[in-house]
Amino acid sequence: MASESTRVNVPGAVSGNGWHDQDHVPGIKSELLELNMGPQHPATHGVLRLLLQTDGEIVYKVTPVLGYLHRCAEKIAEGVNYKQWVVYTDRFDYLAPMCCNHAYVTAVEKLMGQEVPERAEHIRVAVAELSRIASHLIALATFGLDMGAWTPLLYCFREREEILNLLERISGGRMLYNYMIPGGVRYDVPNDNWVADVLDFVDLMEHNKLPEYNTLLTYNKIFIERTADVGVIDAATALDYGCTGPVLRGSGVDFDCRRDDPYSVYHKFDWQVQVGRGEMGTLGDCWDRYIVRAREIEQSCRLIRQALQQLPEGSYQALALKAIVKAPAGAAYTRVESAKGELGHYIISDGGQTAFRNKVRSPSFCNLQVVEKVGVGQMVSDLVALVGSLDIVLGEIDR
Amino acid sequence: MKLMYDFFTGQLGLDATGANISVASVMAVIMFTVMALCAIVLTWMERKVAGFMQSRYGPMYTGRFHGWAQAVADMLKILGKEDIIPAESDKGLFKFAPILVLLGSLLAWAAIPWAPDFVAADFDLGLFYIFAVSSLVVIGILMAGWASNNKWALYGAARGAAQMISYEIPLALAAVPVVMRAGSLNPSDIVIAQQGGIWHWNINPITNPFLFIAFFMYFIASIAETNRGPFDMPETESELVAGYHTEYTGMRFAFFFLAEYANLFLVSMIAAMVFLGGWWAPIPVLDRFIPPALSFIIKGMLLVFLNMWVRWTLPRVRVDQLMHLCWKVMIPVSLLCVVGAGVWMMALGQLK
Amino acid sequence: MEQNAIYELLAGVLGDGALGYNEHALEPWADVAPARIAEACRFLRDDPRLGFDQLMCLSGLDWDGFDETGKGKSTAILGYTDDGKPETSDRVGTGELGVAYHLYSHALRHKFTLRVRVPRDAATVPTVGGVWSTAQWHEREAWDLLGITFAGHPDLRRMLLDDEWVGHPLRKDYVMPDTWSGVPLQGQPYCANPFPVETGGPDQPAGDQPAEG
Repeated sequence: MASESTRVNVPGAVSGNGWHDQDHVPGIKSELLELNMGPQHPATHGVLRLLLQTDGEIVYKVTPVLGYLHRCAEKIAEGVNYKQWVVYTDRFDYLAPMCCNHAYVTAVEKLMGQEVPERAEHIRVAVAELSRIASHLIALATFGLDMGAWTPLLYCFREREEILNLLERISGGRMLYNYMIPGGVRYDVPNDNWVADVLDFVDLMEHNKLPEYNTLLTYNKIFIERTADVGVIDAATALDYGCTGPVLRGSGVDFDCRRDDPYSVYHKFDWQVQVGRGEMGTLGDCWDRYIVRAREIEQSCRLIRQALQQLPEGSYQALALKAIVKAPAGAAYTRVESAKGELGHYIISDGGQTAFRNKVRSPSFCNLQVVEKVGVGQMVSDLVALVGSLDIVLGEIDR
Repeated sequence: MKLMYDFFTGQLGLDATGANISVASVMAVIMFTVMALCAIVLTWMERKVAGFMQSRYGPMYTGRFHGWAQAVADMLKILGKEDIIPAESDKGLFKFAPILVLLGSLLAWAAIPWAPDFVAADFDLGLFYIFAVSSLVVIGILMAGWASNNKWALYGAARGAAQMISYEIPLALAAVPVVMRAGSLNPSDIVIAQQGGIWHWNINPITNPFLFIAFFMYFIASIAETNRGPFDMPETESELVAGYHTEYTGMRFAFFFLAEYANLFLVSMIAAMVFLGGWWAPIPVLDRFIPPALSFIIKGMLLVFLNMWVRWTLPRVRVDQLMHLCWKVMIPVSLLCVVGAGVWMMALGQLK
Repeated sequence: MEQNAIYELLAGVLGDGALGYNEHALEPWADVAPARIAEACRFLRDDPRLGFDQLMCLSGLDWDGFDETGKGKSTAILGYTDDGKPETSDRVGTGELGVAYHLYSHALRHKFTLRVRVPRDAATVPTVGGVWSTAQWHEREAWDLLGITFAGHPDLRRMLLDDEWVGHPLRKDYVMPDTWSGVPLQGQPYCANPFPVETGGPDQPAGDQPAEG
């Protein structure tokens, strides 16, 4: 797709590495190897295609090619009404759909000026954080798998299964929930001991399972060798490329929408934003991004515990389920901290039931762009580590 | 062997040549059968071990008892698969590569002494021969990667060639102290030299600490030599799709598969033979009750289990770290073992 | 910093390039002349009083058929007819295109919104990819889906659609092609509910009543 003539001077394309297209070895003509990583490749986490130019194991140029999962979600948003579009947000980050639901309904409510009952917000925080744990578990698991560690994958999926069961009990869906609606949540907490089960799970996760992953993977010598000092994204690059979420925090920038741009009821709870500290190598390497996710699981556990222990009585919906939602004319950009980073919705309303324009700013889309710069000069194996540590999900990138 | 030879000459009245050929044929059939069988058993075992490590069951249905027939069913299925040869591939090499890979490990099986006087090819250069022919595998892998005309396969092959050639050095060096101690390259002699219970095995650190170190050098190098995790560079399924056998299907793929497990078992048997006393039971009394071959295979299987344990626990190292480990750590340490073992034996008068 | 104070600073630098400040309860924004947007962004990033180090979002917009009265009567986009054929219309899009920039400062914790509007037939905006690298992909996406050209962009190719795709689908007057590369494209009309039910949904648990409100 990217022919040489159309590509001009992309930042990050390196020319000064001593590479001279010919006469690399005097007398022998050589050229860079064009390598197609993806769209069907085990390390690209979906249908991402990376067009590589390599010299042996060293990558000289990375060109991500997107769009294999494009489903015109933004166009559809202009044709369906606000409530109907909730179901499409599930399909963005299908590993943490509750966070995506949350982002969208928050945006719509802000536009409508809709108050949400306290109980609904507590439930939302609990399920969104459960979803975040599930997503981070997949991130840890697949990152381990990219490093060749099979067993943590199965362990993480075992715990994710528990989360899916819990979310199924509250929402009826295992993977795509369509659970939140503007003004509340679709169903109340089920009265079959759900809260107690979630609290049990959270305790188990925090005190039992996370240490297990740490022993098996996090502090494994080979794992540290593979990830420390690899794929270093410094804070300035991260900000320049609009990286958010664990990628930004892994680079040492102490920022989290949940705390610094408050929405929902996060301000009520006691928890900490986790930041990479460069413990194993340079600040902003793959290991830092990994450990930020691992520690965020812990913080999510704290949030869930507080949200459910303080669950207030009252209504869980401000609007009737059937009510047609109309937003007054206006435009607002609302962002929330999804599992992958800052998930923003820019909704322009003309006063009707349908968004005039709904732009989705997806975190993976922005995070992925950084491989064009950071991936250059790495080994192929390290590029796999880098892409794995960015924790992209293609449903969100291609929308 | 003597018994079999006598049977052919005495009972069937063959002359020496005919008897030798007959013995060789019978052994070849036995070896091939055992090899195929062990590949099937090890496939099943790997799945169960992996399941055990990963808090799941592994195969449970085929054949009722813990899915024992799963590997058989898989083999049957794989036989029925379409044999795809890529259009742009080098067809001759493409077809020959799996055979060469299998051949490499099969040839080495000939010199394994299963029991006293039960070895297909009992000759004095046995250990040398084993290391020599198992190097054929690397040519097969390189061929497969090149002939596939696939960039990922080429990557896998290049990595595999670099890795296997490098790791043959510590592998062979680790066995040198044992040869010095036994005073022979003949596998049977090496085993016989370890007679007398666990105290006389070469691994005993009190007899010679350098042999103890050499065992671990051998074990690590053997993991790399069989291309298994954490050193599975030629495959690296998360980076290179499937490495050198990306383009292979059906029976040709099964050959690679077979060779991997045959190789795994082979290096474990060599370790058992060289360091763990071969067919001798840990306590001399037990030699009367346990058949020597059984004792030998149990040791081999324990090492195979260890190998699987490592594979399912550790992440993969990167290719340059792998080379670093080989050239800067393992080869010097192995050389040190050779020198140290020699000095130790000279000082204690153990040299033969 | 207050939003209008930010605008004052910006207007001071841009002069007539700053077209106006729109006070809006939800999100005030500044209209900027398209040709000056890169300059404005560079100022907003570099000025220590503002320090907008993050471009949160860059959205391409199509204002064609927008109902300015706030009654929700904007022209509907073209979808599919009941038999799955793309809807067509004689209407030719006339409205302006636009770009919205949402900025955030990590150091000073404030936000700001810029908007530009460009005529439909000459939709060219200077790139801000040199100010924030993240803008490059957003701009490619805006080019891909809305056909806004970003002058000076180093690599303005299609982002999500195939290179050979014709048209820019997020435009309000976009008509879906019947076929693409010989593959017939079939669709369903928007808003067709396959499960028309009286109360609740088919998956509503028993005994779980919708709340009052």
